[in-house]
Amino acid sequence: MTEAISFYLIQFIILASALAVVLVPNPIYSAISLAVSMTGIAALFFSLEAYFIAGVQLVVYAGAVMVLFVMVVMLFDLKKEKRAFSRGTLSRVLKTTLSVLIFSMIAGALSMSFSELGSGDSIAKEDITRSIKELSALLYTKYVFAFEALAILLVMVIVGAIALAKAKGGTHAK
Amino acid sequence: MLSSIGEIGLNHYLILSAALFCIGMFGVLMRKNALVILMSIELMLNAVNISFVAFSRYQNNLDGFVMVFFVMAVAAAEAAVGLALAVAIFKRFREINIRFFEHLKG
Amino acid sequence: MDRMEIFINTVKIVVIFLMMIQVVPLLVWVERRGSAFIQHRFGPNRVGPLGLLQLLADAVKFINKEEFVPAASNRVLFYLAPILALLPGMLAVLAIPFSTPFGIPSFEFMGSSYGPYTLQVQGAEIPLGIIYIFGVSSLAAYPVLLAGWASSNKYSLMGGLRASAQTISYELGLGMSVVGVMMLYGTFHLNDMIAAQEGLLAFRFFGNEINLPFLPNWGIFFQPIGFILFFVCIFAESNRLPFDLPEAEAELVAGFHTEYSGFKMLMFYIGEYGHMIVGSALVVIFYFGGYHIPYVSEAGLTSFVSQYFTGEYLVPFLVSFIYLHVFILKLALFLWIFVWVRWSLPRFRYDQLMSLGWKTLLPWSIFNMILTTVFIYAANAA
Repeated sequence: MTEAISFYLIQFIILASALAVVLVPNPIYSAISLAVSMTGIAALFFSLEAYFIAGVQLVVYAGAVMVLFVMVVMLFDLKKEKRAFSRGTLSRVLKTTLSVLIFSMIAGALSMSFSELGSGDSIAKEDITRSIKELSALLYTKYVFAFEALAILLVMVIVGAIALAKAKGGTHAK
Repeated sequence: MLSSIGEIGLNHYLILSAALFCIGMFGVLMRKNALVILMSIELMLNAVNISFVAFSRYQNNLDGFVMVFFVMAVAAAEAAVGLALAVAIFKRFREINIRFFEHLKG
Repeated sequence: MDRMEIFINTVKIVVIFLMMIQVVPLLVWVERRGSAFIQHRFGPNRVGPLGLLQLLADAVKFINKEEFVPAASNRVLFYLAPILALLPGMLAVLAIPFSTPFGIPSFEFMGSSYGPYTLQVQGAEIPLGIIYIFGVSSLAAYPVLLAGWASSNKYSLMGGLRASAQTISYELGLGMSVVGVMMLYGTFHLNDMIAAQEGLLAFRFFGNEINLPFLPNWGIFFQPIGFILFFVCIFAESNRLPFDLPEAEAELVAGFHTEYSGFKMLMFYIGEYGHMIVGSALVVIFYFGGYHIPYVSEAGLTSFVSQYFTGEYLVPFLVSFIYLHVFILKLALFLWIFVWVRWSLPRFRYDQLMSLGWKTLLPWSIFNMILTTVFIYAANAA
């Protein structure tokens, strides 16, 4: 029962702040509510006993990526935003309907396929340190190629981001 | 859908993930601010992470966790490049609303 | 998990939070008296013995200050920032083990009996304590950033941007310098780390047991480079003096809290001291044996206590009590070093700060990691 209460509480926080991200016109509030949403997702991982992932989620997303977002939004200083949302009643209705439709399709498919399975499956409790050991073993054996590729990607991104941020405008420089 | 209120199963996590994904998609479609679009993409990536972790936990299989690592690294990389692009665009156009730099539109 | 246990845990969380808050005025007093001592002045010495009642006078002053909000500021964020400033330190302190657990006998209360409990002297025994603490304290960039922006003041904004950039940069070095400790003890659990540092220095080298019985088995003898890196990084994380660029008063008035006054300002102070407490506690746990007394094992202490007292529950309680004070003593030592350094060293320039973080601390922490790997391999090689 406590598990259910904590799940619904966390779920409420995540969904409410996610909705705030897309519905609030001021981008600074969007960024802050996204940070709240990330923290909520970290809490959800914590309740799923994925402690390591939860910590990484906090450090990487809530602690680094979102701080970057907030910093950039603050630097732009967009206080009065013109046309925050797309124009036209038809396009708005269409887009909203599309999103709701996709959600109901996924939810319907899930509820059909999970009618028996669902809650019967209980989470197997494991020794946490051991699971981290297995995780790293997996990372360095089965997924070692992807891991190396990720390293190359990150180096490329560092170079690219610095080049972009330092660029004086390329061939179209004023 | 919610088979029993008291117990939480895999389907609850998956539906939460789907809802979050659709909210993110809605944001990408509706918003016109490039930064908010990037944020909505982060939301969608996080939705995928939730389903990875939930599957991984319920199937007692660690592959999902590894995937979450990759998604996080790629998302961080995407955010870094996206923000660098946004800063470059803002420097040139003094505006971050995507309606104001549609020069390539035919 | 019965009702009593939930009640005990709630009380514990509140008590630990209040402890953190109550330490702050004391630290402010130490800071003022300490700075006076270092600069050959008297410091506050008029109110009460040794100026100790100055704390109360300060509290009254903080509460009675004019409530000032800049006209152009963003009100919501302006009030939100100081509240958020309390959070990271508060949440991180919860995971720190202050002493050994002790038992509470079963008792009758309001007509129903409650079974024997084991009480952890720790807010909550969180698995992967280190990761939790790092995760929570990485949220510390927000209050500073929000405060800087919401004040709508150029100096505040610059202070906020500097602070967040600094926090993000030094988090890398901080995290990497601890990897050596994690590999050394082979665990993420703070209690296990402390347990591993009990007794006298002993390690394995190429399969041979080597004992150095004149030194305690502390982490600093295994991780000297890691200790220096970690200690430098927590100064930067808590925005304390050699790295207090966010509030460099010579350039930025008072940085991100220029526009804050009275109690809101005090909340930023509490946040900063919370960081100091968490950082010092982590140094004690990682490198200085946690609550263990050098040359005295837990069994030795227990037998010493049971010479004078008897009782199934009394002896572990007294042992835990002694350990708590040992921990607090070590913590106080490091908090004093924080104060000492603040009033002894000059401030860095901002570019020096960034190049120290990225070009010195990060490569050295990676080097430390590799070195530790080699040594662990050497220790277990036959």
